[in-house]
Amino acid sequence: MKVEFLEPQSLQDAVAMAKAKGVGARFVAGGTDLVIQMRKTGVLPEAIINLQRLRALGEIKHDADGFSLGALVTHRQIESEDRFLGGLQALRESACVIGGHQVRNVATLGGNLCNASPAADMVPILLCFNADVTLVGSSGSRNIPLAAFIEGPRKTQRAHDEVMTDIRFPKPAGKFASAFLKGGRRRAMEISIVAMAGVVSMSAGGTMTDVRLAMGAAGPKAIRLAQAEKFLEGKVPSKAVLEEAGKLAAAAASPIDDVRASASFRRHLVGVYARRVIELGWNRISEAGNDRSAA
Amino acid sequence: MTEVQLDLTVNGRRHRVSVPAHHSLLDVLRDELELTGTKTNCLEAECGVCTVVVDGKSVASCTMLAAQCQGREVVTIEGLQDGGDLHPLQEAFVEHGAVQCGYCIPGMIMTAKAFLDENPRPTREAVREAIAGTLCRCTGYQKIVDAIMAASQRLVQQGERP
Repeated sequence: MKVEFLEPQSLQDAVAMAKAKGVGARFVAGGTDLVIQMRKTGVLPEAIINLQRLRALGEIKHDADGFSLGALVTHRQIESEDRFLGGLQALRESACVIGGHQVRNVATLGGNLCNASPAADMVPILLCFNADVTLVGSSGSRNIPLAAFIEGPRKTQRAHDEVMTDIRFPKPAGKFASAFLKGGRRRAMEISIVAMAGVVSMSAGGTMTDVRLAMGAAGPKAIRLAQAEKFLEGKVPSKAVLEEAGKLAAAAASPIDDVRASASFRRHLVGVYARRVIELGWNRISEAGNDRSAA
Repeated sequence: MTEVQLDLTVNGRRHRVSVPAHHSLLDVLRDELELTGTKTNCLEAECGVCTVVVDGKSVASCTMLAAQCQGREVVTIEGLQDGGDLHPLQEAFVEHGAVQCGYCIPGMIMTAKAFLDENPRPTREAVREAIAGTLCRCTGYQKIVDAIMAASQRLVQQGERP
């Protein structure tokens, strides 16, 4: 079978080509997932639609309300983005553990989200920041919360002729800190056993407020840990408080057994990493005058 | 005819090739251009053995579509030597005995090349981090890191870098 290679020069062209080709067409950005899938399954698309000429989708922008990351922004761009220091540093921390340099140099955020691996490391922190994704298709454009966009392993709300154009999130109000930690068997080139991200602010009274916690790789999709978040609100992270938050986080996990870890070990790690992420976020926000550590 | 007509620049030379749309850059380098210095290994971008440099950045050639390299500059291990003179990285790998079975070495050197071009004076720790995506299963990392450190010094001394 011959595969057609299409090179749209505009978003409108890309959508029109996908609509014309139907479900047999696949979009490609960095290619790091698609090329492997084609080789492993032996199933070739009828057409490959290359999105890389849509350069406008490769930018990171911000305004007073928040940030917008084009879907073609690479992990490399995120990990080296100066605006993602301080309060937003968990974005860099998440991006820099994905694959090796060779993958991060080309793999895109949009591709990572549309591929919808339960272990996609960018997802937990974007859930904490209440990110929305924008999809543009033949029937127009729509915004969907990332939490709803990803439905399960490799399953999203994207229609075959829709292109993800950007990922937006509002900047949390006031002083806040973020943190990301990943549990794996080794430090480099690892698919997460557990990924944990958190965002925390400090109230005038010196307690935690607007606590956000999300985990990946411990269930069919990454999720926010609502019960743990609610429990932590208004508290100081004492040992007992962290212990309890860890238990609530572990109870929300629905991990699988696989070659990388057993379900029970994953559940254990969820508790441990929830505690550590909160502690790390809290330490960051507590440090010094804080105008730098909290963006 | 649905093969893609490509104008590829590899090691400074332009090649016109006709390739199936789903073929990787690695396929084209090895099978079309017979540049077999770039090795085939995991085919999943896990091991870094097939690393080449595209537009100045290290990439896994096994997961990059050749068709996406139209108009881009590809450098492979064959492109490092200059009129028969080895690149300082290659010299340093030889001098330090940084090669055991050798299979990962083209990818290791290309990974190091892209890294040193952006980080001319790295720390040892930074070098270790830079090659984290490129696996040597002989586990000869000590000498590999020694060689990259030595090459970085030589490149700086040669005044090739500011």
